[in-house]
Amino acid sequence: MAAVIEFQRVTKIYRRIFSEEKLAALSDVSFETAPGQVCAFLGPNGAGKTTSISLLMGFFFPTSGQIRVFGEPPGHLRAKERIGFLPENFAFHKFLTAPNLLRFHLRLAGRNPDSAGSLIADLLAKVKLNGYENLKIGKYSRGMVQRIGIAQALLCDPQLIVLDEPTSGLDPAGRREVLQLLAQLKGQGKTIFLSSHILPEVEQIADHVIIINRGKMVRSGRLQDLLATGAQVEILADRVPPELTQSTLRGAIVEPTPAGMRVLVDTARKRETVEALWAAGCDVIAMTPLRSTLEELFLKEVDQPGGAQ
Amino acid sequence: MKVRAIALNTFSGLVRNKIIILFCAGCICVLLLMLASLLTLRNMRGTQNAEMMQMAVLPLIASMMTFISGFGSLLAAWSAADAVASEMRAGTVLAVLARPVRRWEFLLGKFLGVQLMMLVFVLLMLGLNYLLAWIGGATIETTPWVLIVYPLVRYMIYSALGMLLVTVMHPIVAFCIVLVVMIGSSLVAPGNPQTFMPDWLRSGLFYVFPSSNLLSETRFLTITRATLRAALWTDHATALVYGLDYALVCFVLAAWIFHSRSLSRD
Repeated sequence: MAAVIEFQRVTKIYRRIFSEEKLAALSDVSFETAPGQVCAFLGPNGAGKTTSISLLMGFFFPTSGQIRVFGEPPGHLRAKERIGFLPENFAFHKFLTAPNLLRFHLRLAGRNPDSAGSLIADLLAKVKLNGYENLKIGKYSRGMVQRIGIAQALLCDPQLIVLDEPTSGLDPAGRREVLQLLAQLKGQGKTIFLSSHILPEVEQIADHVIIINRGKMVRSGRLQDLLATGAQVEILADRVPPELTQSTLRGAIVEPTPAGMRVLVDTARKRETVEALWAAGCDVIAMTPLRSTLEELFLKEVDQPGGAQ
Repeated sequence: MKVRAIALNTFSGLVRNKIIILFCAGCICVLLLMLASLLTLRNMRGTQNAEMMQMAVLPLIASMMTFISGFGSLLAAWSAADAVASEMRAGTVLAVLARPVRRWEFLLGKFLGVQLMMLVFVLLMLGLNYLLAWIGGATIETTPWVLIVYPLVRYMIYSALGMLLVTVMHPIVAFCIVLVVMIGSSLVAPGNPQTFMPDWLRSGLFYVFPSSNLLSETRFLTITRATLRAALWTDHATALVYGLDYALVCFVLAAWIFHSRSLSRD
């Protein structure tokens, strides 16, 4: 199946007018996003995330390399017809009400807003803005603006949804609702490309992760593959006799927890350790392969000295 | 449909724009001050020199309308510059251009939104012309379409120029340049007696700057029954086509620059 988004060796260099000064915002970045995938685009501030999204949307032009969205160059009308976009720190025409804003965006999409009353009502209900139909957007809170931004991104049933920091400005309940909404869209087979700083949330919905730092791609792959280190397993055991110590269980780290004794051991030694525990009369309650979190992976990648220079 | 939606949205934004409202309030204050002299003239009509006063009313109205019309040119330039710049500043341009809208369609929508506002301004100005003439006890002899179309075409030039400049610079700088162009075009206009400018510069600027004198509707205001003569349609057509051509060139240049510029929240 053809990729929805293709970045091929994309470089973006900002140049100052009348100056030799150059800033490489992106260097040789290549990746693809498959249809139906939720792709998390991660990186610290200034890593080049917003530049990449601007290139993807056709707001910026790459210095070199090629970008394709649905097989079209970025900014092409056929590509834009299939995209829903939420920019970072979204701003709207403040004098409009939410239904009027959605009607305006429907007109921009070339659709007739007169027959879209129920669609607009449904969308506003989906983002919990029903009841505020007569309030002008200028009077909205930050969170409400973000919600109407999400509603307009979903307006024309897009196949690709590009979200730059979709949960910024939202309270924990609002963030959870947005995540549920994204999970729902994922279930409908939509392709979602999002950047976010809130990694535990991204971890809940992303299939694919791209980490960039200082304009270079430092890691990319399926989330499961990136997080499942497979190096260690955690064994939780009960009724552990006092004579069973760390020295008895070779190479294991043993620590007491309220739920029982926690034994960390290399995957290669898990069978040997479990047998030793059983032989000593312990009850093995659980055995779980240890996964690192996305946050740990992210920090490891972006904190690497000299990495991605 | 897309262009119309952008134009109507621009118009709605402009009529709520605080700077433009402040601009108009200042204009009304100056107008009210100028109205005092018109009322004085009207008062003097009843006395011994009524005939002379009658002849003075129309030039006074013309000078008042020159002020308002000049203000309209500035308003057109500022509105066009601000209509584009405010979208860039707020970042709303990103949401609009994420839709299947071409960049030139966005600019055209903005341009037409400004023209819609200027049409309202011109209609108000036309009403004001007749009101002032009535207050002064005079009659405007020229046809109303001249008083509508000429200023509209002139405002098209200045809004296209403002739009062209704002695609590459800050709106205040763009506005100042338009102001300089306005002053410059009146200085280099044929018949202006200024002598500080060498001929080569004057003639050069005459061809570069928009010839707003050619498109001035106020020259038709001073026409009285005695001086009334039918202007040839070719004269009108030449003047209006010149103005439309100038505006079109500015707009096409603006669209060309805007097509290749990076868009981000300023």
